[in-house]
Amino acid sequence: MNPRARRILGRLGNALIVVVAATFAVSMLTRLLPVDLAQVLLPTASDAEREILRAEIGANKDPFTYYLTWLWDFVRGDFGKIYFASGSESVGTRLASAVPRSLLLMLYAQVIALAVAIPLGMWSGYRAGRRADRVISTTLFSFSAVPSFAVGLTLIVVIGVRLQWLPTLGYEPLSAGLWLHISHMIMPALSLSLGLIATYTRLLRADVVATLREDYVTMAASKGLTNTRILWRHVFRPSSLTLFTSAALNMGALIGGAIVVEAVFATYGLGFEVYTALQGRQFVALQSYVAIIAVFYVLFNLVVDEAAGFVDPRTRNRRLNG
Amino acid sequence: MADKRGRRIAERISYSWLGFVVALAVVGPWLPFDAWNTVYDDALAVGPFSGGHLLGTDSNGYDLLLGVVNGARLSILVAVIAVGLGGFIGSALGIFAAYARGRVDSVITTVFNVILSVPNLVLALALVAVFATNIDVTDSVPTWRRVLVLILSLTIVIIPILGRIARAAALAWTGREFVLAAQTMGMRARNIIWTHIVPNVMPALIAVGFLAVGVVIIAEASLSILGVGVPDGASWGAMISRGRNEIDYAPHVVLVPLFFLAVTVICTNHVGDIIRARLDKRQARI
Repeated sequence: MNPRARRILGRLGNALIVVVAATFAVSMLTRLLPVDLAQVLLPTASDAEREILRAEIGANKDPFTYYLTWLWDFVRGDFGKIYFASGSESVGTRLASAVPRSLLLMLYAQVIALAVAIPLGMWSGYRAGRRADRVISTTLFSFSAVPSFAVGLTLIVVIGVRLQWLPTLGYEPLSAGLWLHISHMIMPALSLSLGLIATYTRLLRADVVATLREDYVTMAASKGLTNTRILWRHVFRPSSLTLFTSAALNMGALIGGAIVVEAVFATYGLGFEVYTALQGRQFVALQSYVAIIAVFYVLFNLVVDEAAGFVDPRTRNRRLNG
Repeated sequence: MADKRGRRIAERISYSWLGFVVALAVVGPWLPFDAWNTVYDDALAVGPFSGGHLLGTDSNGYDLLLGVVNGARLSILVAVIAVGLGGFIGSALGIFAAYARGRVDSVITTVFNVILSVPNLVLALALVAVFATNIDVTDSVPTWRRVLVLILSLTIVIIPILGRIARAAALAWTGREFVLAAQTMGMRARNIIWTHIVPNVMPALIAVGFLAVGVVIIAEASLSILGVGVPDGASWGAMISRGRNEIDYAPHVVLVPLFFLAVTVICTNHVGDIIRARLDKRQARI
């Protein structure tokens, strides 16, 4: 077997171990509840009804059988139910509408972040050490630490309440009209993107500074090309790899921020579902959400890492000791 | 040169602010103030700088300055304990893994990776939600148990973050000549770790520890906003989450704790960054 295939298989194996262990731990969450799950989910039901529920969610099985049946359901897309006094609703149908919205929100946040960070990073790398660079770097450093919900709440106060330019709550699908959709998404997306802008600008700046020292940049300059042309045609591409890898890896990190931001703006995505599951103490649903996020996160990071190694072989051993 | 002076001033501001917040947290209870939940019913939701309320009040009549001072104690306490405990357990495991190598190392690393496979906020909220549940919604969980569950959950979140850093830093030292020399001279593994590895790993851990304090403060506030934090509204996060309901007519109620939280987190990040920069310089000279 060639070394590349072996390495990928090794990575896959590791990821599989992590996924199995993580889903096992998550499946144990409802087992570890200090109280009776059936009583929490159906507070007004009779004992007989609760017994049916226990059988349905497998609360009577031993942990390993329980895990296996839970995993089997999970893999087939049966994520359990949300229980009401009057009945229940499948988590899967909710996810089908919630997940695309969250992905859309994260996509918008990434687009805004890259659209701002690329020019800023190029500019401050080009003017490294000058005043413009120092102002950009210091300001962004402060922003990088500010949590997204703080940005979001400030935006609500200023743009939503004081200026009344944008709606502060809710979600509208694209089919309801482009502006209606965008106007509900701008503020949540902006809140998520501010921290990213800081990170991305920093990364791009460092790489631009390094690339500008390359011989081919001197070569391009001596050919008489304009600085703008050199920057965008010769410097940007070789400098952007770290940026795009980090952008891809940040998709996972965005999930945490997205949950709070969705709760703040009542954007009805996965994060908002997590929030309502917490409020309504829907532990079966919560369990599925956490498992979905974990599996997505692990697989996504794996793919990004491999893709980055494929595009730029220099990064292949980068994370060995990490 | 102006740059250097600017940086020094920024450094001082960060240290002073953190000192100020920690001082609030420590001496808060002895300050001659009313209790944070004293209701001033003559001044409901008044803005900052009005009638004896420096930062204003919320619609319950709670004074926001008192709230912030009291909140500093809980937020800082939770953050420091979680990072201290998580950092201790994490770095012990990480250093041990790096020193032992082989199977022990891969088991510990896998455990870290499993914990890290869930985004930290998601992990924290799952743990808090599960372990701080009562049968009856109306029958609230006692505050001390909530705080305990919160601290332990955040500790679990911190363990792999600092553990991985400790392992990576320790790996760089376990292969060094002086460690080899100590081993061949028959020094006990425990002594080698304590005298040769721990002191070298420590600075990196302290730098990341500051960042981790920021992470925990944000996580605590996020949990409060999601409704699973400390319930009776004593922490900064709880103040923010209560202020959210008044955002339409009294925006200062949410902005005041947000400001304190944001500045504190910026400062912990800044200080972590300063320490890391010094560290890079020091290592470069070796």
